[in-house]
Amino acid sequence: MKKRKMYFRMITASLLRRRSRMVIALLAISIGAMILSGLVTIYYDVPRQMGAQFRSYGANMILVSEGDTITQEQVDATREQVPGDKLVGIAAYRYETVRINDRPVMAAAADMEQVRNTSPFWLVEGEWPSREGEIMIGKNLAQTYNLKVGKRTTCTYAPESETEAEEGETEEIVLDNWVDFTVTGILDTGGKEEDYAYMLLSDMEKLTGLPTEYDVCELSISSNSVGLQTIADQISDNVDGISARLVKRVTESEDTVLSKLQSLVLLVTIVVLALTMICVATTMTAVVAERRKEIGLRKALGASNGSIIAEFMGEGVALGAFGGLVGALLGFLFAQAVSRNVFNSSITLMPWLIPVTIIASVLVTGIACLIPIRSATQVDPALVLKGE
Amino acid sequence: MFVRMIAKAFLRQWKKMLMIAFTIALGASLATAMLSVMMDVEDKMNQELKAYGANITVVPKSASVISDLYDVGDENVSGTYLKEDELGKIKTIFWAFNIVDFTPFISTEVTLDNGDKGQVTGTWFNHHMDLPTGEELDAGIASLRSWWTITEGEWLDEQGSHSGDYAMVGTLYAQRENLSVGDKIHVTGSAADKELEVVGIFDAGGDEDDLIYVPVDTAQELGGLEGKIDSIEVSALTTPDNELAVKAARDPSSLSVSQYETWYCTAYVSSICYQIEEVITDSVASAVRQVADSEGQILNKTKLLMILITILSMVGAALGICNLVTASVMERSQEIGLMKAIGAHNPAITALVLAEVMCTAVIGGIAGFYAGIGFAQIIGHSVFDSAISIRPMVVPVVGVLVAIVTLIGSIPAIRMLLNLRPTEVLHGR
Repeated sequence: MKKRKMYFRMITASLLRRRSRMVIALLAISIGAMILSGLVTIYYDVPRQMGAQFRSYGANMILVSEGDTITQEQVDATREQVPGDKLVGIAAYRYETVRINDRPVMAAAADMEQVRNTSPFWLVEGEWPSREGEIMIGKNLAQTYNLKVGKRTTCTYAPESETEAEEGETEEIVLDNWVDFTVTGILDTGGKEEDYAYMLLSDMEKLTGLPTEYDVCELSISSNSVGLQTIADQISDNVDGISARLVKRVTESEDTVLSKLQSLVLLVTIVVLALTMICVATTMTAVVAERRKEIGLRKALGASNGSIIAEFMGEGVALGAFGGLVGALLGFLFAQAVSRNVFNSSITLMPWLIPVTIIASVLVTGIACLIPIRSATQVDPALVLKGE
Repeated sequence: MFVRMIAKAFLRQWKKMLMIAFTIALGASLATAMLSVMMDVEDKMNQELKAYGANITVVPKSASVISDLYDVGDENVSGTYLKEDELGKIKTIFWAFNIVDFTPFISTEVTLDNGDKGQVTGTWFNHHMDLPTGEELDAGIASLRSWWTITEGEWLDEQGSHSGDYAMVGTLYAQRENLSVGDKIHVTGSAADKELEVVGIFDAGGDEDDLIYVPVDTAQELGGLEGKIDSIEVSALTTPDNELAVKAARDPSSLSVSQYETWYCTAYVSSICYQIEEVITDSVASAVRQVADSEGQILNKTKLLMILITILSMVGAALGICNLVTASVMERSQEIGLMKAIGAHNPAITALVLAEVMCTAVIGGIAGFYAGIGFAQIIGHSVFDSAISIRPMVVPVVGVLVAIVTLIGSIPAIRMLLNLRPTEVLHGR
């Protein structure tokens, strides 16, 4: 009992008396621990955060109907199959051929909020349509019809079934449905979307006189291709009349690029960690090597090698544990700052990382201390005290 | 005397000096490796992002207008085409070096013997080009459509075994027409008819699964469109857009002369588009936003991430060096005390200690720099399968960093040494 008390007193006294050296050692250990916990947190968080960035490539899954059209119920049922935190957007489109200035134009209707989520790369000059009577048109269409933001235009729609039915009968004038629109935005995508016009679902119902049924549904889900395939299979199995297909161009390429990025961060982490740990070790070695004289004195007074090693290791472990704790917290703060700056989102704390960091820094300091202590204890005390 | 003292110090205390040099080398190598990787990561990721395919499409001017105006269903009855012999010019623009791949397309309608209609698209598969600049380039959809998987057969090899009437078909089309590798399809175009041998069936996971792909010449002969092409897809390495690029993309003539020069001489997607329009007659080049935009975003994020990691590791390296220098100088209090006792002045001691430490730092720094280049190459080869190019900028940055850090690391130690009282130290306190 007494012995243990003395042991603790010796360690604390030694740490307190040699304050400047201990601060240096502590600083070295905390930096090492901070780099460890910070980089490991980033390494684990990169796929998640970067995956979210890759969603800017747009939809990575599309639903195709086994029948003719997709109903709202099917879309809702699909939405339930996808885990909420993974679903970035689900946009169902209805395509119809309408006429602007008596020339046919492909018009699409969709929930614009969802379209924004699934196609974040669309560049809209002006505003997205948000109210009835507003329309967004592709850049090519705008050029053809010489339409600008704020101009008014009229879309007409000839109900198909009626014209067919009346074929062969006496000519009867069927009035086209029509809706007046204000152009709120011009769409620039560099793709075929530039030839389409986009409007709200309710306007499309008004124009066609038919209830909403979708032709295609796009999903943007943040997951790798294996996870996506699972979700796609699940949707195809559980939702009647729907089969889900992956957009290979997006999913395959994302896997390639993301895996490169993760292995980059992994290698960087390994290199940085290895170098930092060696740095910490050399600093600890220098701090301990300085105390050769003290070791010699103790030996001369009759201390056994074991008790000297035990005491110095006790100091090292105490420093390592404290430095590790401080470093783990600093590292988390660093990772948090990185995440805020780079991805505008916060990072999840990984509780297991704190003990791991502490254990790692205790190990590194322990090993770093052991080498100089051993060499000091093996020397004849008389020589050490003489200063040779 | 001064030189001799330093030399002696190195000889006598080589173990201690070696440790300082070693730590400085570690720090310097860390800084070198991280800086090099950070500066090169944008280029490297840019190459990786090419997996998403072309980011620029070039179409004939007014193609869309005419097909809209005259309501012609089939796109190219209007007769606007690009010229095939101008394709090589794409590699002569200002940013030619940034153009990594491009391929032309020409499509024409054909009829099969059983009356089914089909669309035949002529393109390059692995076209080899000798450029006027003396460079060589292999371009085509084999690299531009990296996400295609060949479900049966192999890629059409334009250069070697498959020059002539061969074709690749999409999975959907193959299923519908019940085709497999080695089958011959007889197609009749508007100008000629040909017997095509299927060499590969691909799964593209999109609309392309319903098409037949053949070499450019074959499609041109079928449709009687010699020397003409519909569109060109270009894959270029670009710089992420900023405000200037957005403004320029709307209307290059709205820029001032100096702005125009900055824009023209930066690899923005809009300036590359503009330069392509300059060399290809009557063409409109536009950025594929899905690819170009996302690319910029991901590049920016990756770069920022690497910058922050670099800063962290540099701070780590700096503090590590600082610490060790402080610790090892403090250790020598007795020696310094003795010097003081026999009459050394403070400036002399400071100069001696600094000179010793700086000598070590130079040796350690140089060793560390080369080690760092090695680490950077390890990272480059294992992640990107290519060497990281070392920017000259890295040398002064690492040099200055090591010098400053070593100096700062010595300051607290030197201050302590100067305040030493010789008697106390020598007495052993």
